[in-house]
Amino acid sequence: MQHLDPDRLVLLALSEPPGPDESDHLTTCAACRHELADLRDVAGLGAETQDVRDLPAPPEHIWRAIAADIEQEQPARRSRPRWLIPVLAAAVAIVAGVAGTVLVNRAPVTARATLAPLATVPAGAGGSARVHSDGRMQVDVRNLPLTTGFHEVWLIDPDDLTRMVAIGSLTGNRDSVLAVPPGTDLRRYRLVDVSDEPHDGDATHSGRSLLRGTLTS
Amino acid sequence: MSSDDELAEQLRDGDEKALRTAYERHGGAVLHLAQRLLGNRADAEDVTQLTFVAAWKGRDGYDPGRGTMLSWLLGIARRKVVDRLRSAARDDRVAESVRAQLAPPDGRETPERVVDRLLIADELSRLPEEQRRTLELAFFDDLTHPQIAAVTGLPLGTVKSHIRRGMANLRRRWEVDGAASGSRSAGSTRAL
Repeated sequence: MQHLDPDRLVLLALSEPPGPDESDHLTTCAACRHELADLRDVAGLGAETQDVRDLPAPPEHIWRAIAADIEQEQPARRSRPRWLIPVLAAAVAIVAGVAGTVLVNRAPVTARATLAPLATVPAGAGGSARVHSDGRMQVDVRNLPLTTGFHEVWLIDPDDLTRMVAIGSLTGNRDSVLAVPPGTDLRRYRLVDVSDEPHDGDATHSGRSLLRGTLTS
Repeated sequence: MSSDDELAEQLRDGDEKALRTAYERHGGAVLHLAQRLLGNRADAEDVTQLTFVAAWKGRDGYDPGRGTMLSWLLGIARRKVVDRLRSAARDDRVAESVRAQLAPPDGRETPERVVDRLLIADELSRLPEEQRRTLELAFFDDLTHPQIAAVTGLPLGTVKSHIRRGMANLRRRWEVDGAASGSRSAGSTRAL
């Protein structure tokens, strides 16, 4: 008997039972047997891909650690990491559409930031941050994803993303006034970050950033 | 979406955005592999970080002609997992060999299997839409060729040719990339 037809081998690999002649051939022909075994392997793997075809997006905090390592490798360049630029550009592109503010702070605004959602966050989320001359920071947010923990505000050094100051937590999906610790250098810690924090008693950043924007005066 | 060739060129030019793109595209697969092999999230995240930092440092070593970027990254990740297990074994003064630790607890899931599955999933996602859809119906829903023809409205002959070509594509990728990522030895001879 001739070797089995390639189309037929594919069918057999996809769990169609072989006919009597085909079975006979397979018992005597190592070449066709191996071919069928390979195709069955591929078909088996193909069936298993159902579990891995929609893997979750890799977390941002791992990327930040990678970016920090790479920056260290190039000490000559102290500029802002290039991957930040798209985030910042997005932040600039969003027009501050904050609804009428209830809270009034008469101290003049010394720095402000428009907060834009990170890629993993629904595009409708956003907000703004304003630092007043009396050291208070007003943070307005909208459409933040629901959390089982709480939302925390940070000021981060964009040149070294491992350096940050925790400013305080937001109360619900509305305006909050927080205190910037006296002496904080806002030219260095100029990246405002709102994160999703679990109630795990771990005071460090969870790595799940939701909104970001850069303070400008 | 830039191809692996373009991405490799940008990487070699030292463009960090290319690494970021590679991370967005394949970071999930690297993390999945590390987690399956190490069984713990913190170590898996460390290995993912180490993998992409090593990819950056070794970016001149990636040759798109020898395999996909995913297979290259998974190959690095496997070596990082082995390093991690070796150092853990040293730390704990565990006499067990790394090989024994890499052996799957249930005797079924080998590192090669996890890598192969990720490579096949990647290749499946690159197939032309109709070819991919036809194969998915055969793989996931266990449909026969006439059933697939009925579901998709495609002529039976078209279904057969999609399946044959799709299977051939997957198999080729599996053989080339499996060797590139070290999931099988590069010199293994195959029948036919």
